[in-house]
Amino acid sequence: MRKKLFLFVPVILVCSAFVSAAFRKEDVKVHKLDNGLKVLFVEDHGIPNVALYTFFRVGSRNERPGLTGVSHFIEHMMFNGTQKFGPGEFDRKMEFAGGANNAFTSDDMTGYTDWFPAAALEPMIEMEADRMQSLLLDPKVLESERGVIASERRMSVENNNDAILAENVRATAIMAHPYHWDVIGWMSDILSWKREDVLAYYRTYYAPNNAVLILVGDFDGPKALDLIKKYYTGILPGLPPPAVATVEPPQMGPKDVLIRKEAQAPSFEMVFHAPNCTSPEFFPLSLLDLVLLNGQSSRLYKRLVREEQLALNVGGGTQESIDPLLFTISAKPRPGTDLAKLEAVILEELDKVKTQGITESERQKALNAIKSGFYFGLQSINGKATQLGQAEILYGSFENLFTQMDQYAAVTLAQVQEAAKKYFTENNRTVGKLIPQGGVK
Amino acid sequence: MNARAKLACLAVLLLLIPALSGAATRLPAPEKFSLKNGITVYYFKSAALPLVSFRMWIRGAGTANEPADLEGVANLTANQMMKGTAKMDADAIAEAVDFLGARLSIGASDEYASVNGESLKEHFPRLLEIAADCLTNPVFKDDELQKERKTRLDSLKAVKDNPGSAVRYYFAKAYYGSHPLGHLANGTEISLPKMTTADLKSFHQKYYRPERGVAAVVGDIEKQALLDLLNKTIGLWKPAGSAAPAAALPPLPKRAGKKLILIDKPDATQAYWILGAPGYPLGDAITPQAVVMNTLFGGRFTSWLSTELRIKRGLTYGASSSFQTWPAGGLFTASSYTKNDKIGEMLDLVFDLMNKAKTGFTAEEIESSRNYILGQFPPTLETNASKATAYVRLMFYNLGFDYYDKYLAGIQAVTGASAKDAAAKLIPQTDYVLVVVGKSAEIKKQLEKYGTWTERKITDPGF
Repeated sequence: MRKKLFLFVPVILVCSAFVSAAFRKEDVKVHKLDNGLKVLFVEDHGIPNVALYTFFRVGSRNERPGLTGVSHFIEHMMFNGTQKFGPGEFDRKMEFAGGANNAFTSDDMTGYTDWFPAAALEPMIEMEADRMQSLLLDPKVLESERGVIASERRMSVENNNDAILAENVRATAIMAHPYHWDVIGWMSDILSWKREDVLAYYRTYYAPNNAVLILVGDFDGPKALDLIKKYYTGILPGLPPPAVATVEPPQMGPKDVLIRKEAQAPSFEMVFHAPNCTSPEFFPLSLLDLVLLNGQSSRLYKRLVREEQLALNVGGGTQESIDPLLFTISAKPRPGTDLAKLEAVILEELDKVKTQGITESERQKALNAIKSGFYFGLQSINGKATQLGQAEILYGSFENLFTQMDQYAAVTLAQVQEAAKKYFTENNRTVGKLIPQGGVK
Repeated sequence: MNARAKLACLAVLLLLIPALSGAATRLPAPEKFSLKNGITVYYFKSAALPLVSFRMWIRGAGTANEPADLEGVANLTANQMMKGTAKMDADAIAEAVDFLGARLSIGASDEYASVNGESLKEHFPRLLEIAADCLTNPVFKDDELQKERKTRLDSLKAVKDNPGSAVRYYFAKAYYGSHPLGHLANGTEISLPKMTTADLKSFHQKYYRPERGVAAVVGDIEKQALLDLLNKTIGLWKPAGSAAPAAALPPLPKRAGKKLILIDKPDATQAYWILGAPGYPLGDAITPQAVVMNTLFGGRFTSWLSTELRIKRGLTYGASSSFQTWPAGGLFTASSYTKNDKIGEMLDLVFDLMNKAKTGFTAEEIESSRNYILGQFPPTLETNASKATAYVRLMFYNLGFDYYDKYLAGIQAVTGASAKDAAAKLIPQTDYVLVVVGKSAEIKKQLEKYGTWTERKITDPGF
């Protein structure tokens, strides 16, 4: 069905090399309720399922010392009972109706992602609306879930050397801004969050005026809107959440992190402060990220993995974020690698960009990757919902999704070189090394 | 076409949508092409996005046919096929694929090797050209082999830093022993140093054969254009001209009694475990009831394992169970992890649940499981790549394109009694392999009650 629609909208293709013919801004219907809830609808009848995604403008960026990790904790508690639906009932009812879900928390947002057969639309909307306003935070369940989070931290950080290093490097590079800590939070905070603080945090950030709802899939637009009005209209808006006032001060010299730990292989990471995603400099730097790090033909992969054979892999780059975050280069060094050499080679490659820029062919290659990545991301109803939600939270409007490609296409070689010169400086740099105990010099 | 005509067409199409949407639930029937050299290609046009996906499986070119002393040679062969051909060296291949913004990989599974590619439609002809060149003209250079060997040896060391990954390697060895399914696809520190380019050439020559290839193309491409493209690319691959060697897996190992393995990792703060036992073969009549049963036991968020270990007690972030199937047999596994001092409590709960499974499930649980499987099925065939993979898989295993229809009808027909039978037959009680990776000093005492453990250090060579 959608494949036929493709034939009838070719005009836009002429205007922009990038705008998708099968998924256009016009396919997204927008409605805003009086309480501030923004709703995006995309009817897509490819499969008889619906993706219902709820994004809240809250993440670890909104936390404070003592409550680090609490955004992620609330994400977990959202499955653990409201006044109407007891602990675990959300998942039991949803799975009984043929649905599944997941949720995620990042520095900037918390997302609830439900996938279900079309017939389950009403109960899913009812339950999502319910947990936006009346979370229980039962003390006993809260304690049990605290253990789950502690286990998640042990798995994802403490039993993973690369993650230990990444957490330390982030906390060293970022001094003042709440991006200082990782989304999971510090273990001592995880073990000591108090119920009343968690509840106050929930009440501050879980409000219709701080959320966007996205429906993609097999539903009838007007009927779905009626259901949303039925269940969400009664939810009172909250006060606007406090702004994140802290601005990271400029770094005034290079920083180093050294960790000694029992390990077979070392870990390595280099970061630079980088602009946020709405900064005009974000796009050149993000394009450069692909030239340096995307694929086996990228500059750093070729040099570190293929030619010098110092690393097993290399990755990282920019991250789309509301406030300025980091440009990351993380390499997995081969056991026994001289990490000073690894560091020197990376710096040499960054210097090449600063002095000589990138080539037109590299720019074109990056644009091809961006274009195909854009379409790869739209292949499923879930993918569409994800892209729309992230654009809405990070850029302030889903419409950005449909202009982003043009913004990348407009990046010049000179802008890429300027961005490299500005950000890849010694004073802006933090380098982290995890050295196997008793091992490498 | 003028604007009004466009709108008229659009209106007609919109009317068709409700009638068609039900049919899209299952796999749409593809067209079939048989190329002269014996490759079968399935094709389905989907122009929703300007993308095309390609999948190809080559029977026999997987780990199951590796010589016992060359564990990992199938995957290394697949890897090296993209590291140089008669026309392009490794860098040129990587550059060509990356320049298109495309994805292309060749890898070895157990019973087959697979080629996966996708790209924007305008780049697909070039992508298939590159794929065909890698498939048919690899040169297997010694310097490239050396590089990759070194990377694989070093990666093996890094695996041991992460107990969650390491436990899977230890489990594969403990469960399968010398059976080919126990081969580590990336090789071992014993097998990798032995491999030469001659071994790779010989493996390629013997097992990569067009007449053993099943392929599928799904996406925004016209039939004639695709046929022309196929004939110019993979259609030129010459048949081997000799009888193909056998390619089936030997029967999977049977299990009698417990086998308990403890791997000591002194810096681990959590203990990771996998328990495994024989499952059922691919296509077996027990499939629907086994899937309904496992969904309840450990296959979804509200499953018994997840409810008891995570939701009620907060012992872990994740706990699950699953079945893997091959024509030659199957495997059941359950796995989780918890902090060192809780491993005994966790395993007690797991054994209680395995015991309880014999008594079956409530009618509401059965209904919920059926609804869940049916409701979550459509997204599994949503994308071009998932459709292409489904075509190839169904044909490779000779399951027929109506397989999913039959499977879903089978799910609908599962009863409490049939799910209980599946649990009685498939959830192990006394015959299983259990592997734990953790800090022995803190967990050993808790494990003693389960039987006699064979203990090794994570720093000991191999897995």
